[in-house]
Amino acid sequence: MRVKEHPILNFNHQNEIHFTYNEKPMVGYEGDTIGAALYDNGIRHFSDSVVHKRPRGLYCAIGNCGSCYMQVNGVENVKTCMTLLEDDMRVISEVDEDKDD
Amino acid sequence: MNRAEIVIVGAGISGLSIAYNLAKKGMKNIVVLDKSHFLAGATARCGAGVRQQWATELNCILARKSIEFFSHANETLNYHRDIEFKQGGYLILSTSKEEDIQFEKNVKLQNSLGIPTKHLTKDEALKIVPHLNPDSFTTATFCETDGHINPFLMSEAYYLAAQKLGVEFHFFNEVEDIVLEDGKIAKVITDKMEIQTNKVVDAAGGYAQEIGGMVGIDIPVYSENHEILVTERATQMLEPMVMSFSKNIYCQQVPHGSIMMGRNNPNALHNHDVSSSWRFLDKMAKTVNHILPEVAKQRVIRTWGGLYNITPDFQPIISDSNVKGFYIACGYSGHGFMFAPITGELLTEIILGEPLEYYAKALHMDRFNDMDKIDKEHSVV
Repeated sequence: MRVKEHPILNFNHQNEIHFTYNEKPMVGYEGDTIGAALYDNGIRHFSDSVVHKRPRGLYCAIGNCGSCYMQVNGVENVKTCMTLLEDDMRVISEVDEDKDD
Repeated sequence: MNRAEIVIVGAGISGLSIAYNLAKKGMKNIVVLDKSHFLAGATARCGAGVRQQWATELNCILARKSIEFFSHANETLNYHRDIEFKQGGYLILSTSKEEDIQFEKNVKLQNSLGIPTKHLTKDEALKIVPHLNPDSFTTATFCETDGHINPFLMSEAYYLAAQKLGVEFHFFNEVEDIVLEDGKIAKVITDKMEIQTNKVVDAAGGYAQEIGGMVGIDIPVYSENHEILVTERATQMLEPMVMSFSKNIYCQQVPHGSIMMGRNNPNALHNHDVSSSWRFLDKMAKTVNHILPEVAKQRVIRTWGGLYNITPDFQPIISDSNVKGFYIACGYSGHGFMFAPITGELLTEIILGEPLEYYAKALHMDRFNDMDKIDKEHSVV
């Protein structure tokens, strides 16, 4: 899912960035945040709520809500909505991917 | 006009425990007043650690008895949730020869009172908390039955148990005056109502001095702001509470992963301020970065302040007074949460005129009439 044509903005998706999400290889583009690249790859379930373990997705997308926190290159609590994607990034969420709703 | 057998001022953990214990002993018509909503004061703002490692005999006894209660509080209070009592211990760091010697004495005292504290070498302490900076301390004391409780859940447990026993709670009722007739309590006046009563308990925490003033008693306590912070959730890295008096820090990871830490401000003013300051954040960050560098990497999500109500010897006042029917439970000097169970038991004995435990006399406010004789607690952050 990606906006390809826009009335006033131009998107230049040329340089691919390769990364892994929960050990699975994925592709994003230069300029993507980790969260945007995951969204484009069909990932909707980013984390679980604290008490009831309900699925949480990309929500505020500006670094406030905490729903998109994941472990990136071994560092916990990375705000994937605000962190730019880099080559060979190892992104890990602790969610049960089979439980999506 | 309303009538009550007793009016308890303050629905914090002390007032709750007193109300519950009185009701359990069969007292009827108990009214608890609070000037704000439930858990607006120091109880909800506290670090909620519970420890038995003290330097005075009195504090050791109060703490040990309270922990006995906490360890079966869910069952005793028939609570439908869990108070989250995590007994990960308290690791208290010594940072000098003098402190080593004091800690040796503390451990001896605690052991003699049945508290299983051990004096550990640096290597033994590092086995319990591997993230400690080995250069930041010399030895440590550890008591494995110390721990941490969720103060909101503990308070709710008391509140529901008290309510079930018939205790009446009125929030947003600020006590404005207490009327005496012939030297005895006659009436409590709030901003919303008047209650006829002959007994009042001052469990007003940071405002205990002001409530005492309403019956002409000058309780030797003052209030000051103590700040605290909480981090984002992290994977388990800190089993016990880590504490140092000389470095001025306490730091604990709660069960859901957040890490809480606080320190005192030696320049704090004696007032009711509970604001947060950048100075606290600056000093706290430096302190924790020195002692627990891994913990210091976590992001802070919130800071807040709460009132310590402090006595000259850092031990509480749990006593009656020279005004008939006026009882006091205040001056916990930052430890009211962890002493709450014993507070309720002792003050109930005092109010009902039952024979008192031998140590309880030392909690009377009269001890401050002779300031030279007080046994001062030094193990405080």
